[in-house]
Amino acid sequence: MKPPSPLIALANGQRLLVCVGSGGVGKTTTAASIGLWAALSGRRVLVLTIDPARRLANSLGLSEIGNTEVRIPLERLLGDGAAQTKGELWAMMLDPKSTLDDVISKVAKDARTRDAIFQNRIYRSIAGSFSGSQEYMATERLYDVYGSGRYDLIVLDTPPVKNALDFLEAPGRLARFLDRQVMKWFLTSEEDGPFGKRLMLSTSAVVYRLLGHIFGKDFLAELSVFFTLFRDLYDGMRERHEAVSRIFGDAATTFVVVSAPNEPSVDVANFFLQELRSRKLRIGAVVVNQLHRARLLNPDVDALLGRKAREIMPDLAPQMLARLGAAHRRLRELTALEAHWVRHLANEAAGVPMVEIDRQSGEVHDLAGLLSLHDWLFAKGTDV
Amino acid sequence: MAEPAAALNPGVASGVGSADSSLLFRSRVLLLTGKGGTGKTTLAAATARFAAAQGRKTLLCELDNQRPSLTAIFGKVPTYEPQRVESGAPTGAGSRAAAALSICNIEWMPALDDWLADLVGVGRIVRMIMKNRMISIFLEAAPGARDLMLLHRVVRLAEQFDLVVVDMPASGNAAGMLSVVSTARRLFDSGPIRRCAEEIDAMLRRPDTNLVVVSLPEEMVVNETMETRARIAAEVPGLRQPLVLLNRATPASLTPGEQELLSRLDQADVGSEARELVEAGLWEERLERATAEALTRLRGDAGRSGPSVVVLPVLGRGEGAAKVVGQLTAALARQSRARVDLVGEVVR
Repeated sequence: MKPPSPLIALANGQRLLVCVGSGGVGKTTTAASIGLWAALSGRRVLVLTIDPARRLANSLGLSEIGNTEVRIPLERLLGDGAAQTKGELWAMMLDPKSTLDDVISKVAKDARTRDAIFQNRIYRSIAGSFSGSQEYMATERLYDVYGSGRYDLIVLDTPPVKNALDFLEAPGRLARFLDRQVMKWFLTSEEDGPFGKRLMLSTSAVVYRLLGHIFGKDFLAELSVFFTLFRDLYDGMRERHEAVSRIFGDAATTFVVVSAPNEPSVDVANFFLQELRSRKLRIGAVVVNQLHRARLLNPDVDALLGRKAREIMPDLAPQMLARLGAAHRRLRELTALEAHWVRHLANEAAGVPMVEIDRQSGEVHDLAGLLSLHDWLFAKGTDV
Repeated sequence: MAEPAAALNPGVASGVGSADSSLLFRSRVLLLTGKGGTGKTTLAAATARFAAAQGRKTLLCELDNQRPSLTAIFGKVPTYEPQRVESGAPTGAGSRAAAALSICNIEWMPALDDWLADLVGVGRIVRMIMKNRMISIFLEAAPGARDLMLLHRVVRLAEQFDLVVVDMPASGNAAGMLSVVSTARRLFDSGPIRRCAEEIDAMLRRPDTNLVVVSLPEEMVVNETMETRARIAAEVPGLRQPLVLLNRATPASLTPGEQELLSRLDQADVGSEARELVEAGLWEERLERATAEALTRLRGDAGRSGPSVVVLPVLGRGEGAAKVVGQLTAALARQSRARVDLVGEVVR
C-alpha cells in the first residue's frame, strides 16, 4: 500500500511552500503545478517565480510583467465549471532590479531621502549587482504578499542556488553591509558631520588614511553620504529581515526539495536537506523529477517488433530493429543510473516522503501540462 | 557501463558538424561559465588537460569555491597556490612533449592579502590592515571587492602560465562578477582599486582572452546560454566570446526512411512490450531533434559574427569524474584542426 502523496496535505493546509533545488530540475513547473492543484481545490494561490521557461511564462501571461500579480484564468481548463471554483491562481515574476527601489521607497522617511538614495552612485551600483540580490528581492516580495492576506497559499519558486540557502541569508548580508558599527564608525554625531571628531583619535585616523589610500578620498566621502542616507532605513530593513526569517520558520511554512535523478542535482538536493535540517526548517517532501523508465530487462527485439517492422518497410526493418535494440540498451543503462541517484537521495532524505515524476515527453508549457503533472504529484506517493 | 564514445554518437566522435576546438588551447586566459549542471567544471578540466597535452603550461583554477569541485577530478584539494597535478613528462619518441598542468582555488582572503602586499609593499602594514576589524568588515561588505580581488589574482597568474583556464561561477553570477569591473571604474576615479579594475579590464580585452559558455541541448539551457552571452557582451564589450561548447549532444543519425518507419511503428498497435522499444527509439529521436534545435538557435544567435559551436557527446554515464574528463579530453582533441609544436607555436 502506498501512502497518499505528502503534497496533498501541504497544498491544502500550509500557507507557504518553498521549492528549492538546483537549476533545470523542473522547480518552476513543480511550483506552478502545485499552485494549480491548490487553486482547483478552492484556495487562493500565488505562485512567486523567478525565471520560468519562456513558453510557460507566456502561457501563464507572465511574458512582460515584473513584480505584478497576474491572475491566471482557469476557464480554459475548466470550461463551465470555472464559475463554481472558489479558488484563484495568481502568478508573479520577480524583477530584481525594480524591487530594491521599491523597498527603499517604502522605508525611506520622505521623498527627498528616497531620491537622494536613488542618485547616490554607490546605491546605484549595489542596487543592480550586489551578490544575492535576486534572493534578497525574493524575500522582500514574499514579505509583502505574505502580509497582504490576499492569498491562502504562496508557492515560492526560488532561484537556483548552489552553495547555500542564499535567499535565506541575503537579507542578513545587506544588513551586514549596513552594519551599525561600520556606520557608527563613519558617522559620528550629526554635529560632527561625517568623519568628525572620532577621526582625530589616532587609530581611526590611520585606518581612515589607509582606507583613503585604497579607495580614494572621493569614494569615502560618497560612502559617508550613502551611510547617512541609509541610517534611518536600517531599522526598517532589519525588521523586514527578521519578519521574513520568522515566516520561513513558521509552522505553516514547508520546504519542498526538487531534484532530477542525476549527480549534480542530487548533490545540490542533499546539500539543501542538510542545510534545512541544520536550521530546523520543515521539509515536507522530496520531488524527483524527469525520471526515465525502461521496464524490460532484455527484450527480444525481433520477436517483439520484427514482424510489424517488416510488414511496414521490409528493406529498413533489420537495421531499424538493431537501432531500437541499441537505443533500448542505452535507455536501460540510464534508468539504472538514475535509480542509483534516487537511492542516494532517498538515503539523505531519511524519512522525508518522496514523490517521483516520470520525464514528460514534451516540455510542460501550458495549464494542461501542469494539470497532467497532478497524476504524479498528488497521487503517487512512494513507500518511505 | 557506458559504451565508447564512437558507438554512442558516431557523428560527434568523428567531429562532423563541430567547430574547431583548437581555439581553446590557443587562448591565454579562458573563462568558462554556463548554467549549473551543464558540466562546466568537467569541461574546464578536460580543456586544461587538452591544452597541457598540446604543450601549453596550463593552470586550471576555481574561484573561491568553499567545496572545490576539482578535488573529485584530480584527487587533490586545490589550494590557493598552484599545485602541479600532471608533470608533463614527454610521452614517447617522436611525440611532442606535454606541458605541466597545475590547479588552484583562488580564495579571496589570500588574494586580498596578495593585492595589499603588492600595493603597500610592507608586510607589517598589510598584517595591520588585515587585523583591523573595521577594514576587514569594510572590504568584505564593499560591493564587488571580493570579485575584484579574485579576478586580479587571475591577472597575476596569467603572467606565470601559458594558459589559465578559469572555472567561473554559473551564468548569472559570472556576468555579475565580470560587471564589477565597470562598476569599479564608475565608482573610483583614481587610486589602487581603479588601477586594479583597469588591469582586469585590460586582461579581459586581450585578443587571446576568451569567454566560453557551456550549453546543453535543452530549451531552457539554450535560453540561458544566449542570455548570458548577451549580458556579458553588454557588460564587457571587449571580451571575446568566439565559442560555445554544446555538451551531451546527440547528433542526428536517423535517416528520413528510419524516421518514417519509427513514426509508423509508433502509430501501430504493437503491444506494451514492443511499445517500450519504440519509446526508446522515440527517446533518441527527441534527443537528436533537441540537439539540432540547440545548434540552430545557438548558431543563429551568432547572426552577425556569432559563435562557433564545439559539439561534445554524451559520455561516461555513471562513471567517475576523472574518467569522464579523460574521455572529454579525447573528444576535444579529435575536434582540433590545429596542433601545437614542441616550442608551443600553433601549427595549422
